[in-house]
Amino acid sequence: MTERGFFRWLRPWIFPAVLVAAFEWYARRASALGSDALAPPSAAAKAFIGAALDGSLWQATGFTLGTAALGLLLGAVLGIALGLVLGLSRRAAQLGSLSVEVLRPVPSVALIPLAMLTFGFGVRMELAIVAFATFWPLLVLVQSAVQQIEPRLLEVSRVLGLSARERAFKIVLPAIVPRLFVALRLGVAVALVVAVTVEIAANPNGMGYAMMIAQQSFDPALMLAWLGWIGVVGFAVNAGMLLLQRVVARRMGVQP
Amino acid sequence: MNAAADFLHFDGVAIRLGGREILSPTSFDVARGEFVCIVGPSGCGKTTLLRAASGLVTASAGEVRRNGVKMTEPSREVAFVFQDYGRALLPWRTVEGNVSLALEAAGVPASERAPRIADVLGKVGLGKHAQKFPVQLSGGMQQRAQIARCLAQKPELMMMDEPFGALDALTRQSLQDELARLVRETGLTVLFVTHDLEEAIYLGDRVIALQANPGPGRPSLARMIDVKIPRPRDQLTTKEHPEYLQLRRELFAFIEQGHD
Repeated sequence: MTERGFFRWLRPWIFPAVLVAAFEWYARRASALGSDALAPPSAAAKAFIGAALDGSLWQATGFTLGTAALGLLLGAVLGIALGLVLGLSRRAAQLGSLSVEVLRPVPSVALIPLAMLTFGFGVRMELAIVAFATFWPLLVLVQSAVQQIEPRLLEVSRVLGLSARERAFKIVLPAIVPRLFVALRLGVAVALVVAVTVEIAANPNGMGYAMMIAQQSFDPALMLAWLGWIGVVGFAVNAGMLLLQRVVARRMGVQP
Repeated sequence: MNAAADFLHFDGVAIRLGGREILSPTSFDVARGEFVCIVGPSGCGKTTLLRAASGLVTASAGEVRRNGVKMTEPSREVAFVFQDYGRALLPWRTVEGNVSLALEAAGVPASERAPRIADVLGKVGLGKHAQKFPVQLSGGMQQRAQIARCLAQKPELMMMDEPFGALDALTRQSLQDELARLVRETGLTVLFVTHDLEEAIYLGDRVIALQANPGPGRPSLARMIDVKIPRPRDQLTTKEHPEYLQLRRELFAFIEQGHD
């Protein structure tokens, strides 16, 4: 690596490093003055290693990611299916428009009481809320993606005499893949946020709950460790989706 | 009616879209194996006429009959070459895959597709580009790919909507000659819309001129000219042929008149 390249690589890290250093200094000073509310990043790192070694980190991370993924799968399958129907049929879109517009703005977290009554504490409640939260963006984005398919391609399918099923699988679905991936990336972000929120608010499982427990047992170091870790997990998941999107786009013949 | 008139017959075809008369009642016949070019100023309804003939739009009055049967829906025996080749090809399929789509639609078993794809790609000179995606091809090659897909349909009638309008002059000339050769070899009947009068005379057995806004009660069809220049034609001698020059003068004079 040339010296220039090295500095270029270093540049994005400067600001976080300064921030962490400032926080370290501030938190140390606060605890020296007798405050229990904050812990310096060095203590958080120690707590993080402890959680990683005793396995609680992986167990909670696995729970949150697994539930978010399963909920997203549920919401995405339903959202994509209904989005296709609403996008292809003007009559269906008119029929569904009012219901969609009324239900879509309901904050998914507002469903926690209802989901708790229906499913009790546990995985099923969290799944239901994640599915609900991811269903809407996928529905709306897939519907608009279908409506924006090049009309010429649909004419080609008519002239060639493709059946409705062939048209769906050979024209419509491949045509919306790039937009579908944008929708899925959004869905992944929503799923993670909602899963952690539900764990903080209600479900005694996963990363959100672990962070709450740390806070309630006056362990700010562990709490900060979880907070940082959740950020890292979110970053990694999004980066993975971006990579997947690029690979798929290339396979679909879309040149960057 | 003679036997030729039974092949493709336009009987008072008129089309209104959004309250505007795009095409006023137009009647003419096309014989099997004939190459008919349709010219006219923009807005005269030539593309709409083609779309009606392929069943993509329904006539508001009159009807199009093919082999004596009224056309209401697109049929696999009628291929359609769109002007905007870039939008008519599936960007996520290779040239081969795009041609294959026509065969898949027709229910050709997978084992029989490869030789037929190779055959039509060879005919349009894309044999070496089967694995390329549309974005990797020039405009002329993309249009060849679309023509190959239409040939794979094994149509008896091919509709071409200004297929070479967006191409540069040299590419256009070579595609004209290849199309003329393909049509001679396959015996296809072609309806070819163009705004280029010289192209129409060069390619057609007959040129049909439409006029825009003919006025109430009058047909869009304004002129029908038989082109008796011998085939095979070529870019140099045909364009010096006395009949070519005379028809060219006649058509240009007519179109200019139409604008006054």
